[in-house]
Amino acid sequence: MRIGVYVCHCGINIASVVDVAAVRDYALTLPGVVLAKDYQYMCSDPGQEMVREDIGKHHLDRVVIAACSPRMHEGTFRKVMEKGGINAYYFEEANIREQCSWVHSDRQVATEKAKELVAAAVSRVHLQEALREKEAAVIPAALVIGGGIAGLTAAKDMADAGFEVTLVERQPYLGGHVAKWTATFPHMAKAEEFLTPLIQEIQARDNVTVLTSSELTDLQGFVGNYQAKVAVTPRYVDASACTRCGQCLEVCPVEVPDEATWGLTPRKAVLLPSPPHVPDAAVIDPATCRHFTEGNCDACAAACPEGAIHLEEAIREETIDIGVIIVATGYQLFDPARKPELNYGKLPTVITGPQLERLLNENGPTGGELIIGGKKPTRITFIHCVGSRDHTVDHPYCSRVCCMYTAKQARLVKERYPDVRIRVCYMDMRTFCRGCEEFYNDVQRMRIIYTRGMVSEIFPKGETPVVRFEDTFLEEMMEEETDWVVLAVGMEPAEGVEELQNLLKLSRSADGFFLEAHPKLRPVDTDTDGIFLAGCCQGPRDIADTVSSAHAAAARAAIPLFAGKVAIAPIVAEVDEEVCAGCALCEQVCVYGALKLDERSKKMTVNEAVCKGCGACSATCPSSAIKLRNFKNNQLLAQIDALCVTSAEAGA
Amino acid sequence: MRDVLVIGGGIAGIQASLDMADAGFTVHLVEKEPTIGGHMAQTDKVFPTLDCSSCILTPKMVGVGQHPNIRLYTLSEVTRIDGQAGDFTVEVVRHPRYVDESACTGCGACAEACVMKGRIPNAFDMGLGKRGAVYIAFPQAVPLKYAIDPATCLTLSRGKCKKGPPCKLACAADAIHFEDTEKRLTLHVGAIVVATGYDPFDPRLKPEYGYGAYPEVLTALEVERLCSASGPTLGEIVVNGKKPTKVFFIHCVGSRDHTVDNPYCSRVCCMFTAKQAHLVKDKVPDAKVTVTYIDIRAFGKGYEEFYERVQDEGIIYRRGVISEVFKKGDKLYVRGEDAFLGEVYEEEADMVVLAAGLTQRKGLDVIEALGIQKGDDRFFKGPSPLDPVETGIDGVYLAGCCAGPKDIPDTVVQASGAAARAMAVLARGKAA
Repeated sequence: MRIGVYVCHCGINIASVVDVAAVRDYALTLPGVVLAKDYQYMCSDPGQEMVREDIGKHHLDRVVIAACSPRMHEGTFRKVMEKGGINAYYFEEANIREQCSWVHSDRQVATEKAKELVAAAVSRVHLQEALREKEAAVIPAALVIGGGIAGLTAAKDMADAGFEVTLVERQPYLGGHVAKWTATFPHMAKAEEFLTPLIQEIQARDNVTVLTSSELTDLQGFVGNYQAKVAVTPRYVDASACTRCGQCLEVCPVEVPDEATWGLTPRKAVLLPSPPHVPDAAVIDPATCRHFTEGNCDACAAACPEGAIHLEEAIREETIDIGVIIVATGYQLFDPARKPELNYGKLPTVITGPQLERLLNENGPTGGELIIGGKKPTRITFIHCVGSRDHTVDHPYCSRVCCMYTAKQARLVKERYPDVRIRVCYMDMRTFCRGCEEFYNDVQRMRIIYTRGMVSEIFPKGETPVVRFEDTFLEEMMEEETDWVVLAVGMEPAEGVEELQNLLKLSRSADGFFLEAHPKLRPVDTDTDGIFLAGCCQGPRDIADTVSSAHAAAARAAIPLFAGKVAIAPIVAEVDEEVCAGCALCEQVCVYGALKLDERSKKMTVNEAVCKGCGACSATCPSSAIKLRNFKNNQLLAQIDALCVTSAEAGA
Repeated sequence: MRDVLVIGGGIAGIQASLDMADAGFTVHLVEKEPTIGGHMAQTDKVFPTLDCSSCILTPKMVGVGQHPNIRLYTLSEVTRIDGQAGDFTVEVVRHPRYVDESACTGCGACAEACVMKGRIPNAFDMGLGKRGAVYIAFPQAVPLKYAIDPATCLTLSRGKCKKGPPCKLACAADAIHFEDTEKRLTLHVGAIVVATGYDPFDPRLKPEYGYGAYPEVLTALEVERLCSASGPTLGEIVVNGKKPTKVFFIHCVGSRDHTVDNPYCSRVCCMFTAKQAHLVKDKVPDAKVTVTYIDIRAFGKGYEEFYERVQDEGIIYRRGVISEVFKKGDKLYVRGEDAFLGEVYEEEADMVVLAAGLTQRKGLDVIEALGIQKGDDRFFKGPSPLDPVETGIDGVYLAGCCAGPKDIPDTVVQASGAAARAMAVLARGKAA
């Protein structure tokens, strides 16, 4: 065996704490080591070139590099191995930065520890096996989950690039939250101005299939080769025959709170949403329709002059083969009833910002008039950060959009009702998006009172809300009667996020939103290969940032589809069939579903493309029949033995 | 047409290039500096994770340098663009490096030998460190090839350097060629990603803060270099030869400020200041660190939590604008308003850090000639504020801070987004 050892200075990151020359000299004394060098930056081009040259010149067959975490540069150095002409896996990286120089300050002790880590790596590299990456073909199709602005944008990008797209939306209509906004900041564009053309374009594409009222129920496979199962609930109305006459609505006996106004108004079990919701036709909600809940009503079907209503339709399941998945499942709004001191739900004129948005909308329940209980407000108080920056409801994060949507709503109100007195209570104005600070400047000139300070309570005086708040500039507590209170509710993870997390095997960050693979380097990737995040499912953001991230998710998803193949990492589990007893304990611990017991032979089998190399199976197997390549017992024990020996020597 | 042009080699251009190259397209990446990396390479640590910036950037830089589908042109500028989506003709001028990239091994013997060694302010270190006339900006530069600065090289500026240029004599690879000349090349590409980044606001335009007059007054980028382990002070916070004990950070310098015609928010300064306040407190635990602000805009993932953490570390946040930084005798003072106490105060400081905002780059005539619109903030913009990637010109897309200030995650996201739109054009051979 001819091992080369390289010790990296990492500038001064390692060299200022560890005596790299001493580590280098020590490495030369280790069995099998024929060459040891130190260098300023092993990851730099000249550092890599040095290793590549040495492999040929000194006939090295194994390499150890003592540098940073393998998470950082293992891939870099494996490529160097290949360029040098030896197997990429005849390599071991000793982490003497994160695990040594960064956490120690005593030069002598750190140097000894670095030596031990190098000795352990050398011991292990003796036993490493040559492995080869495999390739798998890719199905040139994408699944997009969510039909809001993020999903629509990503679907269009994938379709533009020439790939087949299936867009799955849980609601009966496309458009998501954005369809409910009256205007968008900072340029006051109406949702239908940009959303409707986008939806129409998606629907016109030959290579896009839209499934509304649909939910993902199962996902199998791996990047490039996923099989998704989608349950499609029927609309029960033939959209091509429906004329929007509304006779079904009139006869429907059901009355429940309308989700579209967050309960501000009632709705029927037949829905006929207004534009820009698409498709532009009625739909029946089986969760509330008496035909389904009680089995005794078909009033709408009887009333429909076109015979467009078909209550006999059944839920169907579709299986879709795709290469990649874009998750664009959005968010839900914080429920202010969780803050009882605000009396939301008790005082009828304490409403949320999104509810105000519907009242301001010409297609909304009041035709754009500000009326609740027959009365128009003359005083409105807006309250920021409801359910955001708030530890009491476990939402320490900022929701990123509420400062601006409130400024926009204050402006809309003031433009239509100049005499309404408006006060906005805020903590910090976060008008950071492009054109937004300028927008805020304009709004302040509209005789809108911005008061810095938080609201502690909204209490009733009869039916009238009284707001108790602090003015931090005047250092005073104030109580003020008002007509309406508008709560700038923040965002939280969408309903059903846990189910989706389990189906897709994703992670979530502390705020509950889906976790990206790396906040800076891979902000729309996930730890599951082939699954990408678009929009607010990853965290609150405004429309522009959502569109940007949807384009990004499309780019990242398109890469394997354009490339036409994916590499399958070879550090995966393997089964020794001679030893395997078929107990299937390993199958139970595999969270990726990579293991399957062969019914005939009663031996475990590994789907190498699905296996992530986590090692849970090998730790579970009572007979060591399933092992993780290059993390086998003998390889790890050699590493541990070397650590123990060197430690013992140091002790003696 | 499988070729695409990326203008600018900062993190935005790097990300867009890698995405498109990984998908199999041929990327021509044009960078005007001798190395890629941009402003992110100058940054010490990044918020809110406090990752070492170069540790997360370097792998991507190396990835660009080694990618079989990326042609990297450093010291180069785009001089002309004609054509339309699917079929652009691009002229590029490559300025002479005076060092043969294929021969240079990056060993540094030339820089050691240079007569001007240690005498020229290194722009990468914001002038706080010194280099020679032959130099690399920083040790992890890509390509790791030295370059000669013709303005300060004695051979190139005066025609003579000692009895034969010591750098040339020192170069074992015979890579130094003083006769190197400007070269022009023509590229044919199907799409273009503009990733030209930003210029930091010049705080000399706010003379009341004393930048340039008082050495204790620093910009945020200067502090990044002071914090950096590979910076001019090897990571020591030293101002005027001393460790500071009374540190003031001033927010919104050149942002939210009509007096300098920058009414916009620069979106990153609140957080980079919180990070720097943390780093200074970490390196100089006895220092009293005060941050003065208008509003704290901690809006990204984990940002609010980081802002809370920094406050818990004993850093004082005072709401109110600083009106002046001035000297009385040999002592430096800041005068500001505390909006909560409703009073004006004067306090001594021995280090003042200006959170200078982001402004549009100068010298983008070639890109403007394409017909890309600019906002009132002078950054590039497309027809809809709701789609920051589009320019309104088919085949041309925006990535990163050229389309308005943004932090690294938002920049990386937009860069991938621009790549998506460009790849759609490349795949169809025409406008999508």
